[in-house]
Amino acid sequence: MKLPEGRLLRSRVVSDPRTVLADALDRGVTGYAVLEPQGSLLLDDDGRGVLTFEGGVPVVAYHTGSDRGGPPALADLAAGGPYRLDLYGVRRDSLAAVHDRESFRVPPGMAAERLAGDQSLADRTREAAPTDRRVDRTPAEGDDAGDRDVGAVEAFLDDERKIAAIREQAREEAQERAEEWGFGDVA
Amino acid sequence: MEAFAVASGKGGTGKTTSTLALGMALAEEYDVTVVDADMGMANLLFHAGLEDVETTLHDVLVAGGAPVEAAVYERHGMSVVPCGTSLADFAAADPTRLREVVATLAADTDVILLDSAATLSSRAAVLPIVLADRVVVVLEPTIPALSDGLKVQEYASSYDTDTAGIVFNKVRDGDAIERIAPKAERYFDGSTLASVPASDAVRGARRAGRPLIAHAPESRAAAAYREAAGALTVRDGDSGTVADRFRSAVVPESP
Repeated sequence: MKLPEGRLLRSRVVSDPRTVLADALDRGVTGYAVLEPQGSLLLDDDGRGVLTFEGGVPVVAYHTGSDRGGPPALADLAAGGPYRLDLYGVRRDSLAAVHDRESFRVPPGMAAERLAGDQSLADRTREAAPTDRRVDRTPAEGDDAGDRDVGAVEAFLDDERKIAAIREQAREEAQERAEEWGFGDVA
Repeated sequence: MEAFAVASGKGGTGKTTSTLALGMALAEEYDVTVVDADMGMANLLFHAGLEDVETTLHDVLVAGGAPVEAAVYERHGMSVVPCGTSLADFAAADPTRLREVVATLAADTDVILLDSAATLSSRAAVLPIVLADRVVVVLEPTIPALSDGLKVQEYASSYDTDTAGIVFNKVRDGDAIERIAPKAERYFDGSTLASVPASDAVRGARRAGRPLIAHAPESRAAAAYREAAGALTVRDGDSGTVADRFRSAVVPESP
């Protein structure tokens, strides 16, 4: 994926992808975020995640390490924090080629809902999305219809190596803290 | 007799709603005691209409404090032990006394449900998981909820606390839970006890200060919690033995 050169809006370390999504939405950013995991769980899990925005709403996701786009790219970013974040602003038309990759697109609310786990941010993001990106909702379907696509969650659960790494790290942390907290004899 | 920690690792998954709903559903068959063991961010008292009570768990956990019986309230067919919300009271309390509280309660009940903290970052937060026999992990179909739920399970198993099962909460029709749940189950030691639909009844119950099953017994969410309780087999165990086990659990006193 070839990204256009952009104007650096923000460069910092964030602990949670939620910060990026909320920031982009609040500023109505048209551009892209590059997220580089700093606390990589897997030794060979290098690479960066790219998320593009139009008016603060995510459009395309891609991960350079896995070379996957769309919802699985969001899953590839999961549990890798803290992240080095660079947020760039670009002219809307310069992202046209990138946004043409239909298979790299993500539904507007997916990153907020599934990757960040923030329902209200997801709702706000969907409201900010242009009407052609909102799936029609009939009253009968209510909020249950629309872009509640779970592809990112499924891709996360399909990544056995990452889940094994999350569990292994939690086990080690639990053992360390057991000693620190004086639960050592129990553990 | 068995003690369960209802835990999630992440906030906002609906642990307290789940604890009280599971408690009420289990109370149809068992003698149930529900304890707000989220001692730093207690909220069960609001869900159970107990915000004006005089004595709470905090008063029991201070040195020379009230006997636990003074903080037990009979509500909705259960014994409920609420915790106060004052940070000063939390600071004065000794969380490790929770062991003695649980041991005392265990002698006189079939099921103890410990509403646990939404974090694993402190000793007080992890203590309910250490003390419980098994943990019920409350999840949402999101990556952070699943990831934090897995961490809870690993912490629990580090302390020899098994996983009784998982509850998917706030599930909506578009969530493809029929695909997510089996995939998640591969990593959790317990099965999916229930998938609880997102429901306005939950907010209504919270506003009314009543447990969901008391407020909206006919709701789909209430039915799902009954299903979860039905899927939870409470292990037999002599209450006296369990109480002794809690008392002898190696939990150090405050530093």
